[in-house]
Amino acid sequence: MLRSVFAKTLRDARRGVLWWSLGLAGLAAMMVAVYPSVRDNPSLDKLLESYPEALRGVIGFGGELDYSSGAGYLGIELFSFMVPLLLIVVTVAAGAGAVAGEEERGTLDLLLSTPVSRRRLVVEKLGALVVEVVVLGAVLWLALVVGSNAGDLGVSAAHLGAATAGAVLLALGFGTIALLVGAASGRRSRAIAVAAAGAVAAYLVDSLASLSSVLEALQPASPFYHYSASDPLRHGLQAEHAAFLVAVVVAAAVLAVVAVERRDFRT
Amino acid sequence: MYGRQTGVRELTFAVGPGEVFGFLGPNGAGKTTTIRLMLDLIRPTSGRLEIFGLDARTESVEIRQRTGYVPGDLRLYDRLTGRELLEFLAHLRGVRHLRYAEELAERLGLGLDRPIHALSKGNRQKVGLVQAFMHRPELLVLDEPTAGLDPLVQQVFYDLVGEAAAEGRTVFLSSHVLSEVQHIAGRVAVVREGLLVLVDEIESLRERAATRVEATFEEAPPPGAFADVAGVTEVERRGPTVVYSLRGPADPLVKALARYRVLGLDSHEADLEDVFVGLYRGEDAA
Repeated sequence: MLRSVFAKTLRDARRGVLWWSLGLAGLAAMMVAVYPSVRDNPSLDKLLESYPEALRGVIGFGGELDYSSGAGYLGIELFSFMVPLLLIVVTVAAGAGAVAGEEERGTLDLLLSTPVSRRRLVVEKLGALVVEVVVLGAVLWLALVVGSNAGDLGVSAAHLGAATAGAVLLALGFGTIALLVGAASGRRSRAIAVAAAGAVAAYLVDSLASLSSVLEALQPASPFYHYSASDPLRHGLQAEHAAFLVAVVVAAAVLAVVAVERRDFRT
Repeated sequence: MYGRQTGVRELTFAVGPGEVFGFLGPNGAGKTTTIRLMLDLIRPTSGRLEIFGLDARTESVEIRQRTGYVPGDLRLYDRLTGRELLEFLAHLRGVRHLRYAEELAERLGLGLDRPIHALSKGNRQKVGLVQAFMHRPELLVLDEPTAGLDPLVQQVFYDLVGEAAAEGRTVFLSSHVLSEVQHIAGRVAVVREGLLVLVDEIESLRERAATRVEATFEEAPPPGAFADVAGVTEVERRGPTVVYSLRGPADPLVKALARYRVLGLDSHEADLEDVFVGLYRGEDAA
């Protein structure tokens, strides 16, 4: 577990990943357990219909809003907000600390006195970040697949996988932006602030797009739009939307390498 | 501290293989800045730094492969044990086993099985030394390496430096006190406010330093009585006792003293620390 920067970073994260995994699996189990009572209550769908357009945008996850299907239920309760929120929190915290955490604690001097290039440092830190989030996504997906079968939600493993993969890519985008800002500034707090502000802005642009033509024009630039646009729980994640989310990660990663190459690290 | 300020302005010197080179200066003189330039942790706005004939900026990875480093402000991974930290760094440096590291730890009296956060400052410093020496690097860059070490352990450290030099490896040793390096370094550079004050052999520095001669007279000669005597300046006067500083041969002072009744005479060997205090302040030693 101490063979490389990548392996050590994962080792350092193992406890956090374990607790987050339990939390996400617990959340999925709880939501699935509640589903039968929601499904059998037709007044909830009537309530949804009465919601104003803006609110429907906020709670929706791509497709039709309904509580009477498993896909509709999971979209509203988990994927429209809770799952991306939690994954973004974990990923942004880890990304912000990836390089800036080492610099702030002063361990970067020791680490970079070994023959590890700055580029390799960023790549291995990003690699560890990817593995962490993918593990969390996989745990969540497994919990949902098991729960969906047990609770008869009628959402296929593939569609659950598409929605979860979208959430993982979405979170990685903001996590990589946090890594970039941390690597460029050497400050974790700044990295968290910028990435969190970006995530909130992207979320609001996408959710409230129906309210104004300006927001509507901006909507295709929001990762949240691409995360939900293809209604993944019913139709899977379309390649073009996935490509946008991957592009955000790649662009932030490239910028992080460029930025870290120009730094004078602080003691 | 570094930011946009200039830490180092003008430093030109060369260090040869097998040399123990002392890098001296008061705190804030630019020693750590220079060392961090050597490791490419910071980049020079202008100028050039070569190590092993390689460019410190563009060929840093290869330089670091052949270098061991103890940072001035040593921070370790607190959650790892000493052994785990050494394992990690050994992997990054391509060192296959910890045999030599364990030998070093034993010589320094360091246990490797406790988590680093539970270690004293001195023991952490030992971990820093072990990781710098464990791959037998061609160049050791040590920034204030004896900080926190007790005298016995310091002696072990001096032995390690001596052995490294005997094997033809180069040791670059920074300190703000001369006594730390004067017994092991062949040459020293002195920096002050980012500028090089001097580069010289320790031995010739010693020659440049003044001897203190303390003479107690029955009746002290009037101030300025020795003003014409070559190499002699009066430093201090306490009643019948006068302290002179002497550079060069003692003969002129002895002849001059002979004209008076001298009750006591005492002389101290050249004190290098005094030379350095002078250099730090910006006075010329010569």
